[in-house]
Amino acid sequence: MKRIYLDHTAATPLRPEVREAMEPWLHGVRGNPSGVHRSAREARRALEEARARTAAALGRAPEEIRFVRGGTEANNLALLGWAEAVGSPPGLARIHLSGVEHSSVRETAETMARRGVELAPLPIAPNGEAQLEEEPGAASSRPELVCLMAVSHETGTVHDLAGLAPAVRARGAQLHVDGVQAQDLLREVSTLADTLALSAHKLGGPRSLGVLVVRAGREPAPLLFGGGQEGGLRPGTEDVAGAVGAAVAVEWAVSPEGNREARRLGVLRDRLEGAITDRFPFVRVLGREGRRSPRILALGVPGVERDLLPRALDLEGVEASAGAACRSGSLEPSPGLSAYFGLELARSIAPLRLSLGWTTTAEEVEEAILRIGAVLERITALAAPAGMNGGSVR
Amino acid sequence: MTGRGRILVAMSGGVDSSLAAVLLRDGGWDVIGATMKTFCYQETPSHGRTCCGLDGILDARRVADRLDIPHYVFDVEEAFTRDVIDDFVEEYAEGRTPNPCVRCNSQTKFGDLLQRARALGCEGIATGHYVRIAREVPGHPALLRGRDRDKDQAYFLWGLDRSVLPLLHFPLGELTKAQVRERARELSLETADKPESQEICFVPTGDYRDLLRRRLPDRHPALTPGPIVTTAGEVIGEHEGYASFTVGQRKGLGGGFAEPRYVIEIRPESREVVVGTREELARARFSVHDLNWLAEPPSPGDRVEAQVRHRAPALGARVLAIEVNRVDIELDQPRHAVTPGQSCALFRGERLLGGGRIRLAQ
Repeated sequence: MKRIYLDHTAATPLRPEVREAMEPWLHGVRGNPSGVHRSAREARRALEEARARTAAALGRAPEEIRFVRGGTEANNLALLGWAEAVGSPPGLARIHLSGVEHSSVRETAETMARRGVELAPLPIAPNGEAQLEEEPGAASSRPELVCLMAVSHETGTVHDLAGLAPAVRARGAQLHVDGVQAQDLLREVSTLADTLALSAHKLGGPRSLGVLVVRAGREPAPLLFGGGQEGGLRPGTEDVAGAVGAAVAVEWAVSPEGNREARRLGVLRDRLEGAITDRFPFVRVLGREGRRSPRILALGVPGVERDLLPRALDLEGVEASAGAACRSGSLEPSPGLSAYFGLELARSIAPLRLSLGWTTTAEEVEEAILRIGAVLERITALAAPAGMNGGSVR
Repeated sequence: MTGRGRILVAMSGGVDSSLAAVLLRDGGWDVIGATMKTFCYQETPSHGRTCCGLDGILDARRVADRLDIPHYVFDVEEAFTRDVIDDFVEEYAEGRTPNPCVRCNSQTKFGDLLQRARALGCEGIATGHYVRIAREVPGHPALLRGRDRDKDQAYFLWGLDRSVLPLLHFPLGELTKAQVRERARELSLETADKPESQEICFVPTGDYRDLLRRRLPDRHPALTPGPIVTTAGEVIGEHEGYASFTVGQRKGLGGGFAEPRYVIEIRPESREVVVGTREELARARFSVHDLNWLAEPPSPGDRVEAQVRHRAPALGARVLAIEVNRVDIELDQPRHAVTPGQSCALFRGERLLGGGRIRLAQ
């Protein structure tokens, strides 16, 4: 049975042009960019060229591009490093946190809260609009960081950062954006964020590389020490091959081909969505209330155990997940879905996230429709006594 | 694709279920491994989850990887807590001594997990239990004791819904434990020499009273001191809480008696623990409640064999009376270990007829 991979939001294969660009830096002895000899100079040049190309693609200055070891590290560094940089006594610094953030932001913020940073909720509507509470007296005198991811990894919901940014500025606060799933909005998001976390491998780049885009004057303090690499923010011998690959992946994402690819995936996603909801009208599409990533179809199936669908699909050769890969196996409803739709709804559905990427073909989507249909048919038939067949449910 | 269809094997990480998976795979089944995550006693938001049973899950996954079969972990914590742990606590609170494994089998393993197996398109579910299924009569499978009488686990399966019997497979039923270990060693299964699990899986400290203290309200009578009395009503001491006692127990009653004393009865309403001699403990007549039948129920006057403890012998007995939810039993010989709350499984020869929970006759 041919396997159909619909979990590109969790990991997507390396793009061929990325592989090709990385190749020369993966083999043989190459210099450490910090050295003084010719091999070192070559490595440094490649690294700085990767930085410049990434910056140009994102519409930022090269000094604002810091290569780190992945999206999770970029998020941790942005939050923890911000608190370190503003250096305010505990109880003064405040983080406004949306309830839909990835665990690498949420758990970092929660850890900081235990150390005395104040957490304030940033309410978010299912259509992606966030409401920053207004405080009487205009700009806050406290150091404040507002965290809102660009695109939800669970539903594909595009958040209204442009609508939020003026309020953030008016308070004198700083805006951190987790842009890991913003493959198709990189330029738009990059101009709005003070700090922006990206992960190369979600763009068809290497897994080893993350990018933290840092607005000049808003630099976080380093968390690691032992070398001045990456503008002092992230010491350690640089991953030249990774940086080169990341640059190519980011360039491709913002290119005209990248735009065409996004439209192609949107068509496939809509086909998948239409076919499933026509046949199973009780299946709820999550995130349809507003703008959405073309790569993600998030479904909520009522009356089914929450851990069942991805496993049942795996046995039929369709690879997908229930939501965040890091949460697989947990029966608690996702905090993200609860934040969008309320706890009651989040509890009542089994989430299924089908995510498309550059290797996804129209034939695969058609085959997936058949296999997903067979699984939903079987599962809903078994659950029938509970009253969930047909379109009668919720 | 193989010939015999898809089957889910409940894998605990131990040697029995590991070998069960091997035997089914070799028998042409399309085997899916599954491990239940039943409870979690340590959970802090910052450190993710540290779970008891995690070792078992990892062992099961390792074996499944070796066999190249899919392996899934199913979180059944909510249902397990409701159906097994809550019941366990409630029984002790009532002065009885429960068999949580019976509840887990009937509600969780052959209930919740079986439901998932069907949703995954499996034609059945298999475990490493030492019992057999006889399918001679089409549509009416019989559950039989395991061939290895020392390991036989039919006692724990009386609570299964009769309708699930056709879906069950027990590949170890014809084997002895020694044979199972030997086969596992031949196959170099990582779990071949893993020790038997003895403890109650959700009581990691080994002392169930820790769990009761956590789950019962403060100053619950079961955990509050009360009198130790003789069968004649004489108060001869004080105990720390009747939840520490089991009918038939000898330990913990203090010394200084002319002959050994045993717990005869626990009276939750007065918090009395009644003690007496071995003769006073012996009992021939008792009732069995919360009945479940895996075969046609017996009639009054029928002879059956009753098993009142795991690994205890089957005792010749007679059905005195039977109602929808209660059967009265009389053993041929009075017995010392008839403990309220424990299971009484009823057999006819090798065949498990059904069972229920022991209550003392009025």
